[in-house]
Amino acid sequence: MTHQKLIDLLWLLLLALTLGGALIGETAEPSLAITLIIVATMAFKGRMIVDHFMELKTANRTLRNLMRAYFYAVPLVIVLTSLFGDWLARLTTL
Amino acid sequence: MSATTVTDLQTPIEGAIPGNKGIWAGILSEMTEFALLFGVYFIAKSHFPQEFREGPLKLSLFAGTFNTVLMISGSYFVANAVLAIRQNRQQASVRWLFLVLIAACGYLITKAFEFRWNVSHGITGDTGIFFAVYYYLTFTHIVHVVWGIIGLLWVIVRTRSGDYSPQSHEGMEAFASYWHATDLVWLVIFPLLYLLR
Repeated sequence: MTHQKLIDLLWLLLLALTLGGALIGETAEPSLAITLIIVATMAFKGRMIVDHFMELKTANRTLRNLMRAYFYAVPLVIVLTSLFGDWLARLTTL
Repeated sequence: MSATTVTDLQTPIEGAIPGNKGIWAGILSEMTEFALLFGVYFIAKSHFPQEFREGPLKLSLFAGTFNTVLMISGSYFVANAVLAIRQNRQQASVRWLFLVLIAACGYLITKAFEFRWNVSHGITGDTGIFFAVYYYLTFTHIVHVVWGIIGLLWVIVRTRSGDYSPQSHEGMEAFASYWHATDLVWLVIFPLLYLLR
């Protein structure tokens, strides 16, 4: 598949995921499962932009690792704060 | 990355830096700045879970979704502008860049309507902690979009002037990398403020 074809398809996929995410946000009741779906979608979208739109998949390794790490770290923190919010509140109480 | 390292006119060579080191210093600073703001979001949410559960329901999901579509599309358009210049299609590259400009301005216009809609529904920065965080995050992101638009106008002028070629278009790649980073930040902001409860 050419790079052109790949980014064409990715654009459509990312738009579809965005609309799907909005539908979930509008209709679904909050739960850990919904949080995981939303967070996984965010991580996937970020990874696709980093790898293919930014072209870091084959570019400088340090930049690639830093940008990819961002989309591992933020989703992970979202899930952890969703599960252990009370602990974080206690930790950050002056 | 200097465009002289482009091998097949479609993808950059392995190990290269897209754009230049200077723009990446800026991008990593931007990502760090937002990481700190996301930290504020997480801490505030842990202290006021109820406000963060109710807050997203009071925002315009349509505006947030539409702006996500515009940001992703802007990223796609600028990726195409880079591909076009690598193939020596200068006019096509300019057209793609104008589409980026339309998406960027559309984002700002949508934000302006959203803020007016918020005020008409009694939502301001003083409404509560969730909305204070919402305005901090979105205003900071708007500032980065405006910087991007200024850079975009410069890249359009240079592209129209024929300053970029398949062998030399570092400036366009640098702008593209910055715009993608601004899109990436929005891809985190959108679920944090509009979807997650």
